[in-house]
Amino acid sequence: MKKKRVLSIVLSVMLVSAMFAFTGCGNGSGSGANGELNIFTWTEYVPEAVIDKFEEEYDIKVNWTTFSSNEDMLAKVRAEADGTYDIVQPSDYMVEQMIAQDMLMELDYDIIDNLDNIGEGYLNPSYDPGNVYSVPYQGGVAAIGVNTDEIDLEITSYADLFDESLKGQLVVLDDYRAVIGMAARSMGYSMNETDEDVLSEIEEKLLTLKDNIKVYDSDSPKSSLISGDCTVAYCWSAEIALAQEENPAIEIVFPEEGPYVFMDNWAVLKGAKNSENAMKFIKFMLEPENAQMVSEEFPYLNANEKGVELMGEDFINNEAKNPPSSVIASGEYVSNLDTDTLAIYDEMWTKLKR
Amino acid sequence: MKKRTKRKLKKILSIVFCGLVYVFLFAPIIYIVVNSFNATTSKPYLSWKGFSFDWYVKLFDNDTLLQSFGNTMIIAISSMILATVIGTLAAVGMYKFKFKGKAAIDGLLYIPVVIPEIVLGIALLTLFSNINIPRGMLTLIIAHTTFSVPFVIFNVRARLGGYDMSIEEASMDLGAGRIRTFFEITLPVLAPGIGGGALLAFTLSIDDVIISYFVNGQTKTFPLKVYESIRSGVAPDVNALSTLILIGTTILVVLTQSGLIKKLLKKA
Amino acid sequence: MTKHKFKAKTLPALSMVGPVTIWLLVFVAAPLIYVLVMSFCGIDQFYNVSYHFTLTNYKRLLNADYVNIYGHSLIIALATTLICILIAYPFAYIIARTKSKKKSLLYMLVIIPFWTNSLIRIYGWRSLLGTSGWINTFLMNIHLIDEPIDFLYKQGTTIFGMVYCLFPFMVLPLYTAIEKLDNSLLEASADLGAKGPKTFFNVILPLTSGGIFSGSIMVFIPCLGYFFVADILGGGNSDVIGNLVERQFQSGNNWPLGAALSIILILVTLILVKIYQKLGGDMDSLGV
Repeated sequence: MKKKRVLSIVLSVMLVSAMFAFTGCGNGSGSGANGELNIFTWTEYVPEAVIDKFEEEYDIKVNWTTFSSNEDMLAKVRAEADGTYDIVQPSDYMVEQMIAQDMLMELDYDIIDNLDNIGEGYLNPSYDPGNVYSVPYQGGVAAIGVNTDEIDLEITSYADLFDESLKGQLVVLDDYRAVIGMAARSMGYSMNETDEDVLSEIEEKLLTLKDNIKVYDSDSPKSSLISGDCTVAYCWSAEIALAQEENPAIEIVFPEEGPYVFMDNWAVLKGAKNSENAMKFIKFMLEPENAQMVSEEFPYLNANEKGVELMGEDFINNEAKNPPSSVIASGEYVSNLDTDTLAIYDEMWTKLKR
Repeated sequence: MKKRTKRKLKKILSIVFCGLVYVFLFAPIIYIVVNSFNATTSKPYLSWKGFSFDWYVKLFDNDTLLQSFGNTMIIAISSMILATVIGTLAAVGMYKFKFKGKAAIDGLLYIPVVIPEIVLGIALLTLFSNINIPRGMLTLIIAHTTFSVPFVIFNVRARLGGYDMSIEEASMDLGAGRIRTFFEITLPVLAPGIGGGALLAFTLSIDDVIISYFVNGQTKTFPLKVYESIRSGVAPDVNALSTLILIGTTILVVLTQSGLIKKLLKKA
Repeated sequence: MTKHKFKAKTLPALSMVGPVTIWLLVFVAAPLIYVLVMSFCGIDQFYNVSYHFTLTNYKRLLNADYVNIYGHSLIIALATTLICILIAYPFAYIIARTKSKKKSLLYMLVIIPFWTNSLIRIYGWRSLLGTSGWINTFLMNIHLIDEPIDFLYKQGTTIFGMVYCLFPFMVLPLYTAIEKLDNSLLEASADLGAKGPKTFFNVILPLTSGGIFSGSIMVFIPCLGYFFVADILGGGNSDVIGNLVERQFQSGNNWPLGAALSIILILVTLILVKIYQKLGGDMDSLGV
């Protein structure tokens, strides 16, 4: 008796949901007249409006997936069948590594004819000389965000994050190279140390940070800062800029030691099924007005100089959105390490998070 | 007198206790429903900015979200049908026939039920990745069928416990073929077990996160879409869709509980 | 004769049981065997699995930090299971033995939350428990507290989330077991002069222990793997074994190590299931 009831519930639920399902996919599926494009980007990094605009302008259907660290992206790309993704968005060191692994396709500059929108200083980077495989998108630094309403301590450096008074206050990036590198820089070491003795010294320091960390979040560290769950953040500069807009008491601090610097890029994977569409997409992203749309929503250090010019004074003079070049120059990029050293980093990370 | 007050106190206590448990179960759902009417437009959508239906309107413009829900339904229905068909056959077969290796099949059946989902998830990931099947709808359906099959079999088997094989023989004696007997005699008896198993398969599928997380490729199910949006702050349109799903299922439950659907079916 | 036997028995048996057998061999047995093999492999400099025998992964598993996480994970699972029993038992007892007409409604109310995605409900809890969430706001408004309480991102929060997610898995088997209780037995016990607690411990509890055992299996084991609960409510501070596995298959890019970690999960599961069977548990009831 009861089972029959359950059965009739099931059947009706399924009927209704099936109807839902078909109206649902009627809306969404179907590729554009000019095919598809599979892009794989960082979370909270590319505005939906820009993707929509691209779909409309080129009549290409975009399938969009996001990742939260370079290593996550690499793992996914490697695990999936070839051709699953067309475009990826690796940072500097990951571009280098993917080139070494023969994973990237040479870019077609006959289609991408507007590379000169990118500022001179961002072109021809050491990780990809001549921009053969990658085009710079946005970058920035891992800075410190402080809610000055709640925190009296004057924070000027990475080293200050280890202060005992910050117990349970921090949101930090959920990214082992970023956090271990920060600890290293707070001690005057490089983010790319390989010496085991130095690493064990760094580890000791790193573990003193444990009590201060409340939450690890790479995707949207601003959320904890805005909601008040955390009062200090070690995260991407633009996240702090966005948090400032919600709460003016939040200030950005560029660490004295010189910050962790990064530059993210567009690259096309070897074996991409839609390589031509991918090139068109990169060209599209390089157009100044689209770069402007990006900066308006995700105010990172934009490599697109022409786009930045469109943003106006407020953007250019906002340090959180547009970190000064002196800060960039004082910082350090992450570089590739061998798997044995990375295993040590991984162990340090496990220790911190246990 | 004393006994009566004691009994009354006991009753009040148990009502309060159950009430608290239901509050515990429903508190986040209430939050979701309320927040689906939040007019806020700035991430991470936490502070209350007034009442509005905006997000319900926006929901129907959010193709990726609707599509993820469509995917979830397609996967749930396909894997449920697949699991129910092969599971029912197997349950009946294993009940009727004696053969070598039955215990081994049983052992295999218990694995997806008891091992942590993540183990099955990574195991399927390595399999699909090694034989180079592109991850997507197909692999999701395979994975969901895999973890649903045992539940169907167990439910059908529970029903078979009280099943008298002799009626099948009688049917065949009367000249009905094996296949006809299966459809006309065996199936109706087992229907509640099959239905229960199918319900379980469906429920498990629509809520699965962990296994889907490893085998989805570019295809997003509703739970995976939610996981992705949790990382950047859940937009109220996700809440709005969840609310609609909740309302839909609740209405159905109320209708069936009050027997309305049955009456309608009878009329039709 | 043999041909007849084939047609009468082997063919139908094969066609009925065959599909599931093949399915399980291909999608359960084969991948798990591969995971076992992989756990003895290493990786090359580009993170590819390199097929040479090594015990490196297992050596790394014995690392004190990992052992520490297993310990924490087991504590989380144990606490979750105990809390679930303590809450679910009286709850299931009350709704299973109620004489109210609303009994089936009360039962459905446990299942309905299931149909709202569990992730979004967990997210709902995170918002409710936040520093500026409803609960803190409410407590501050009634002046019970002056400063918001820090609920989030602790081991206790993870346990709370696990209890929330897995609670129905404890209620349902208990409900079934309690509903089956024979009233006359309870009356007999009362007639013989047994007081409430005595009846409970000598009659009710033994008769419903099957429900407790299967509920415990269904709660304890998933706890070890529910990485998303630890992620969302634990904030990365109270990882379970599932997080370790997930990390190696994602950002860690070390599948063999992840495979070895899953072997631990499989071993724990096997041990628990053996204990369950020793206690007289029925495997089928885990899935009904």
